[in-house]
Amino acid sequence: MCGIVGYNGFRDADKVLIDCLKRLEYRGYDSAGIGVIGKKLQIFKDVGEISKLEQKIPHIDGCIGISHTRWATMGAVTKENAHPHLSGNKKIAVIHNGIIENYKKLKEELEKQGVKFRSQTDSEIIAHLIEKNYKGNLEDAVCSALKKLKGSYAIAVICEEEPDKLVGARNESPLVVGVGDNENFLASDIPALLKYTNRMIFINDGEICVLTKNSVKVFNENKKEVKKKEELIKWDIKDAEKSGFPHFMLKEIYDQPDTINQAVRGRISEIERSINFPDNVERLLNNDLGSIYIVACGTSFYAGLVGKYLIEQLTGIPVFVEIASEYRYFGTRKETSLVIAITQSGETADTLAALREAKNAGCKTLAITNVIGSTATRIADGYILTQSGPEIGVAATKTFISQIIVLFLVALKIGSIKNEIGSDESYQYMRHLRDLPKQVRAILDRSDDVIDIAKQIKNSKSVFFIGRGINYPLSLEGALKLKEISYIHAEGFAAGELKHGPFALLTKNTPVVAIVTKDFTYDKMLANIGEVKARGPEVIAIADEDDTEIDKHADFVIRYPSNSTMLSCITITVLLQLLAYHVANLRGCSIDKPRNLAKSVTVE
Amino acid sequence: MEIQKDMKCVVLAAGEGKRMHPLTFTRPKVMLPVAGRPVLEWNLLNAKNAGLKDFIFIIGYKSEMVRNYFGDGKKWRVNIEYINQGKPLGTAHAIGMIEHFVNDFIVLCGDTIFGKNDIKNIMKKGMKIGLVEVENAKEYGIVELKEKKISRIHEKMEEPSSNIINAGIYHFNKKIFNFIKKTKKSPRGEYEITDSINMLLEKETIDSIFLKEWRDVVYPWHLIDANEEILKKINKKIEGKIDKNTTIIGNVVVGKNTRILAGSYIEGPVIIGEDCKIGPNCYIRPYTSIGNNCHIGNACEVKNSIIMDHSNMPHLNYVGDSVIGQNCNLGAGTTIANLRLDKNNIAVILNGKKIDSKRRKLGVIMGDNVQTGINSVINVGTIIGNDTLIGLSANVEGEIQPKTRVL
Repeated sequence: MCGIVGYNGFRDADKVLIDCLKRLEYRGYDSAGIGVIGKKLQIFKDVGEISKLEQKIPHIDGCIGISHTRWATMGAVTKENAHPHLSGNKKIAVIHNGIIENYKKLKEELEKQGVKFRSQTDSEIIAHLIEKNYKGNLEDAVCSALKKLKGSYAIAVICEEEPDKLVGARNESPLVVGVGDNENFLASDIPALLKYTNRMIFINDGEICVLTKNSVKVFNENKKEVKKKEELIKWDIKDAEKSGFPHFMLKEIYDQPDTINQAVRGRISEIERSINFPDNVERLLNNDLGSIYIVACGTSFYAGLVGKYLIEQLTGIPVFVEIASEYRYFGTRKETSLVIAITQSGETADTLAALREAKNAGCKTLAITNVIGSTATRIADGYILTQSGPEIGVAATKTFISQIIVLFLVALKIGSIKNEIGSDESYQYMRHLRDLPKQVRAILDRSDDVIDIAKQIKNSKSVFFIGRGINYPLSLEGALKLKEISYIHAEGFAAGELKHGPFALLTKNTPVVAIVTKDFTYDKMLANIGEVKARGPEVIAIADEDDTEIDKHADFVIRYPSNSTMLSCITITVLLQLLAYHVANLRGCSIDKPRNLAKSVTVE
Repeated sequence: MEIQKDMKCVVLAAGEGKRMHPLTFTRPKVMLPVAGRPVLEWNLLNAKNAGLKDFIFIIGYKSEMVRNYFGDGKKWRVNIEYINQGKPLGTAHAIGMIEHFVNDFIVLCGDTIFGKNDIKNIMKKGMKIGLVEVENAKEYGIVELKEKKISRIHEKMEEPSSNIINAGIYHFNKKIFNFIKKTKKSPRGEYEITDSINMLLEKETIDSIFLKEWRDVVYPWHLIDANEEILKKINKKIEGKIDKNTTIIGNVVVGKNTRILAGSYIEGPVIIGEDCKIGPNCYIRPYTSIGNNCHIGNACEVKNSIIMDHSNMPHLNYVGDSVIGQNCNLGAGTTIANLRLDKNNIAVILNGKKIDSKRRKLGVIMGDNVQTGINSVINVGTIIGNDTLIGLSANVEGEIQPKTRVL
């Protein structure tokens, strides 16, 4: 995820561009850059946060320009890889947010034609493609160049030869136009622009927009002009960074359909029915693995537990999930094992220590992380990025989901390498993955049901979560989310374990959330619910939307859409997040910054 | 009189007006209504009557409200362009933005009401600054003079050296922009036009013009004074429907579709907007402005107050020396005190700070969307934030934050 801004007007472009960019910092902050046309096109970029760039940058005269804040997904965090990217003749500058899937092929083609690349990014090819197609009209060149691209993009382009024109385009990455007086803007989202204007035009996938100082024109792929309506945004600037959501956590919960797309993007080829990872990762997975260890802390540990079920089901390899701070001192290390370290930040001290121990003992090591260039990516033999963008709420939501998706892809990959699953089966899973964002969106659209349930449990002293199989780690995660933001005591249990102790704690005032899927343990779960109810608590069931039986057993039911038992873990997680959020909100808790907690724990 | 043809009038209208809370939580300062129109509209009308036709409004805080109300200016037969200030970085920053759009131009602060003749005088050839003499110059920037020419201009100071202050209206030409570019941030972190002017004064001379009419509104209760001042000049105009057995004395304006029901006793000067229902049996006393779609019902008395659109005092209410926001509803029997028993000046707590209003009579300053319960009592000088509910028989005083429930 990256943030982009474009400006064409009467003010000093550099000041406006950096000012707006600061409000996009949540979208990434590993490097930043700016390009302005004054007498000629000048760019300035560097590694580091926007405020660092602001201090170093000299004033560039000019009233039109583009700026970018980067969160690397391809190519390391270096000055060369920062945006804007220039075309070969240095007359066209491009900024890009998204992932170009066919960049390898395009890059090879361009290199054959003699194009020299300055960076390792997929984004640079866009600048070269536009130059190749430039015949005196920038939007035509952009239009022709985009026809060759596959993947997601929001771009902004300026060209020295046409210093009155700013061109933008989008496909599956966000882009809005801000309409001002004698000035117009482009940005990844609304908050970046609110200080300057609250009149917005929303650009759709496949559309190209051309901004002059006094006009905004929008075209479709076929260069036909599209009539667009201005929308008036009424948020306060305070609320704006959260895109109108009251908390970052809720915003991030609602980001999750996109998060899923991001985690999958470029890794699935439905035509070839294959999962693709970087070569070194594929080599790691293509070993005769005797066992897999997953080491992690906190929410990542629970993602690991979910991963255990997914990998064991799809590959037959035994998986052990270990808490990193335990594994580093007490874990067993075999050279035939693969050790997967999961850490959102890539800097979690305990996980890094465990990873080093494993590597020193000769294990193969793989890191799953959200941050390119982080310590975890440097220690491990290979790494897979979750590509979920920065997460601001302390309670992990979208990064948990994307970790699970990545683990699922790893499971599919190993499963097909080992011939445990055939290509038909893996194609089924790919299709289910494709439908997943839609299902999550459906849940988010009906979140009122969850609010009703939240009202039921907001005054409880203690809440239990139970589930079997893959739903057991989800119970743990559901309980963790609830306790960390609402301060209600919550515990997750394997449903069969209740009677071996926790029963003693059940009273009328300890509601139990039971996660039920229609698999071979369904009847057992109904029996467990019966046992619970006999002790007095109210039971809230989280169940499949086709499950008609459950209403007879539970007091309240929240439904999730599902097409695959294995991937229902994602939709259920979203429900659990919403439940925790709404309970905490009703209790008036500080949701984005719970007491005593920090986003990433870099001490042991 | 010689006026340059392309002279534009630049109106500074970007400010939030924190000292005008709670009324400015829901509107920009320039949209505060006085005598039935926003402060900015009075300025627009006076400037238009002085001969100006081309306006640039510099907007920022809640800019859409200004834009929606004034549009392109056709309704007033003038041209209005807008510039969004973006960051509120001070007056020099605001004026600096319009460099490419003007030659000779007038700048006026949109939240101060200037008179037509004064604007005309300022428009005469040469750079000028408008001045006024006030009793307490603490809240304003002092101006030093040398034989009618300005020699230096200051920002607010604790112990002002004279009573002559900068009124907030200027006539500039292109030269000012050179100095705006050189202006550095002031100690309070803004680019002040006064700093630019002082630099300009080292090279050029600026004439002074003493203003005859000038009404500054700093705190909410100043709206009541401004309202009174404008109402003194209105003429009688009845467009609504007046029932039999009503009494209307003096200059009273009644808008279209408004009905005045039997038993109403209205003593001008009073302005009543459109689509209102007044009466039966109410008493409206001088210097009262009532917005559109309001209802003043049976046994209600209103005096020296501003009632904004869509607000009701339906039965058994007394409202004196007050400002009532939009969409408010007073429960039956809600009364507002406006005079201390010891007859001393009334102090107000605004944004947590105690301020002497210098008024012996002051009722309530009520934000938008406030509802009061029956028989609630509001003490003198109370500030009530927007979207607040006051319970039945509640007794309120001091400063009440927006979105509060008082039970």
